Amino acid sequence: MKKDTLILSFESSCDETSVAVVKNGKEILSNIIATQIKSHQRFGGVVPEVASRHHVEEVTHCIELALNEAKVTYDDLDAVAVTYGPGLVGSLLIGIMAAKTVAFAHNLPLIKSNHLAGHIYSANLVADLEYPFMALLVSGGHTEIVLVRAPGEFETLGDTRDDAVGEAYDKIGRVLGINYPAGKQVDEMAAKGNDVFDFPRAMVQEDNLDFSFSGLKSSFINRVHHADQVHEELSKDDLAASFQGAVLDILSNKIFRALKQHPVKQLVVAGGVAANQGLRQRLKEDIKKRNLDMELIFPPLRLCGDNAAMIGAIAQIQYDKKDFADLQVNADPSLDF
Amino acid sequence: MKILAFDTSNKPLAVAVVSDGNVLATLESTEKKTHSVTLLPDIQKVLTESNLVINDIDLIAVAKGPGSYTGVRIAVTVAKTLAFTLKKNLVGVSSLEVLAADGDESKILVPLMDARNDNAFAGVYQMHSGELVNLIEDHHTSMAKLLDLLKKYDSEKLEFINATDNLTDLIKKEYPEAVILNAKDSLPKAGKLAKIAERKPVISDVDSFVPTYLRLTQAEHDWYEKGHKKDGNISYVEEV
Ligand SMILES: [Zn+2]
Repeated sequence: MKKDTLILSFESSCDETSVAVVKNGKEILSNIIATQIKSHQRFGGVVPEVASRHHVEEVTHCIELALNEAKVTYDDLDAVAVTYGPGLVGSLLIGIMAAKTVAFAHNLPLIKSNHLAGHIYSANLVADLEYPFMALLVSGGHTEIVLVRAPGEFETLGDTRDDAVGEAYDKIGRVLGINYPAGKQVDEMAAKGNDVFDFPRAMVQEDNLDFSFSGLKSSFINRVHHADQVHEELSKDDLAASFQGAVLDILSNKIFRALKQHPVKQLVVAGGVAANQGLRQRLKEDIKKRNLDMELIFPPLRLCGDNAAMIGAIAQIQYDKKDFADLQVNADPSLDF
Repeated sequence: MKILAFDTSNKPLAVAVVSDGNVLATLESTEKKTHSVTLLPDIQKVLTESNLVINDIDLIAVAKGPGSYTGVRIAVTVAKTLAFTLKKNLVGVSSLEVLAADGDESKILVPLMDARNDNAFAGVYQMHSGELVNLIEDHHTSMAKLLDLLKKYDSEKLEFINATDNLTDLIKKEYPEAVILNAKDSLPKAGKLAKIAERKPVISDVDSFVPTYLRLTQAEHDWYEKGHKKDGNISYVEEV
């Protein structure tokens, strides 16, 4: 029998300090997440210097909780893993320095992991992945279609040319008077409203797999401003439903285009926006309509946002490949696949 | 007692291992290197040179700021994680005090960190029978205010440490007779940091140990300016 692998993993790329213990890249023994949302809500969005300061306040306490909850000691661990990009450089550095220090102090191998790969591999914590599989990565910082050909081998098929989808939610949320992060509330309002404004679906006619959300965001804002000027009362629920309707059409159009080019057995939807109920519903229906024999994998809500367990999941693949880093690891804020 | 001391609060990096008052190994770099890349390998180097392993260390001494926000965070994160993970004692020392420790014993020492736009982080120290005494607490100040504050001292006794070219010009106008050590000649000495740390209380709550920034972030400053107040009960970071 193969020996179990236990990885202590760190994630601090944005406004969550998270430390986890993951067994064999599959089983979460602990996944401590300290979120700073309440702090950044004061400013209407994440302030990098404030985020870095909070990470320093939280990091050792999170390590302690993660080890205690997993009921393991340093002797039980096989490696330490950390997100080294993409993300906010000042935030990334705290997780990186803490992870390097633990690896150094206890003589453990160090693994540097890609945050985006982590999001995709959050699926590994809830399903048995079959290669190749397709991933739709949707979050505040990213909107990508990624084909995963083999363990840890990624090919980006499509990317956003401007805003990330989660970013667009936050920007139109501000117009609706919703505090950051706006995604959840817009999703809830959308469920109550109707798509009556017919906002543009950018690039859906184009035969590529890229996204654009800035035009949609602008039409939304223009529509609201115009209504303000002529004292027209618009239903916020209808506005939300119309915005979300356009977003879902764009996402659905591009992901099924990708699936047509690369038929696979599994579609993973990951990242913060994967928590969106409208998106979950829509993709389920689309697969049914198209009669596709394909498993749709949405990680549970807790694993959609940033968390260290997903880093433990991708790090296991790197561990198996002996893809280790040294103590000179630095942050790479604009890392891609 | 064996002490591992390090300071990355500004451009230079200083690391040392000190055992019962003797510096076993020290490493100083003035070149602009990336502290996040070099700090742990440099700690490893001084330990190896001292024929020690990290577990032999009894006390971690760190320069906790003020200084470059990123720089002090790197050192403080490594220090608190080491202390936490190996259950070692931890002491934080003012980065300005570390600079003052290398000053002239007969002078009134004014260590500085340039905070741009004619501002600085500054403190005032004096050596008394081998120990630094803090005369004016470390604070963030405009240079004009600081230079005014220093009028109560004999200007010929003043020694400014770690003055950038801009700060040097400002000081010279007010105190042409003062000694001014340029930033290039004002390197923190980790050996001296270790020595200061021996006299300071050990930090009892490692988890809450954070850098001494001496300044709010711009965003928080603006938020308070708008009349907001921190609700005493609110916790801005929550476990979820
Ligand atoms: Zn993320």
